[in-house]
Amino acid sequence: MMIHESQIMKIHYITGIAAISVVAVHIIMRLLMPFSASLQYQNVIANYHYIPYALLLESILILIAIHGFNGLRVILLEFRQNRRWEEGVTIFTIAATIAVIAYGTRTILLASQAPIG
Amino acid sequence: MEVSKDRKNTKRSDNVFSNRDNREGLRGWLNPTRYGWERVSYWFQRLTGVFLLVYFIGHVYETSSLINGQSAWNAMLELTQTPWGHMFLILVIGTSTFHSVNGIRLIFTHAGKGVGTPGRPDYPYDAASLNYRQKSGIWIALILAVAAMIYGANILFGTE
Repeated sequence: MMIHESQIMKIHYITGIAAISVVAVHIIMRLLMPFSASLQYQNVIANYHYIPYALLLESILILIAIHGFNGLRVILLEFRQNRRWEEGVTIFTIAATIAVIAYGTRTILLASQAPIG
Repeated sequence: MEVSKDRKNTKRSDNVFSNRDNREGLRGWLNPTRYGWERVSYWFQRLTGVFLLVYFIGHVYETSSLINGQSAWNAMLELTQTPWGHMFLILVIGTSTFHSVNGIRLIFTHAGKGVGTPGRPDYPYDAASLNYRQKSGIWIALILAVAAMIYGANILFGTE
């Protein structure tokens, strides 16, 4: 399946706007109590046990990974254009996106099952 | 038909399309001195984007210490919750605010909003696309980034 660059840029913009919304909620959650208290182990694990917040973190992970690595792809393609470079950059960024999402998802799953305290 | 003969004899390397002398690579990309505000904003958008991607990967790795228990989490906090760690977070707040606001400006610009209408090119040939709306957008992104950094500093250092 061939995806046009214009479609990729639409995905880039949509993930960017969506990421701003969910990251705003993530930051507000840090500010509901004093910042240092919000980072205490029990409070952070309690956040992960709350399923809607865990889903929010997963959405942040997916949206920023896609947006960030596609942005990196765009920058790298501005440096050089030839078939080998473009294919290499595309494969690298897709692999890196999947790796970061997989690693972050593992943390969310395990932390949501960890005992509090 | 002397002209046609000359054209035929012209080497491909002399052709403007294959002349690569003007390729400056990374140096050209990072050099904002010959360009206006739009170029500076282009440069900042990419630098902040790369910086935020590196921070994001680091943040995902940092957070993974949670699954190794409370002592591993506290050890990670000792590394990051320091004055220098807070300064770094303030930089993250500033760059993410600029990247977001300037990114919204770029989305509008790519959709053709705020770039003005085509007009006759008159001296001194200012780019019609770099009008007061675009310049205001860049300034708003910078001002909001500074405001967010001040607010972040107040939160991070105010609760110590």
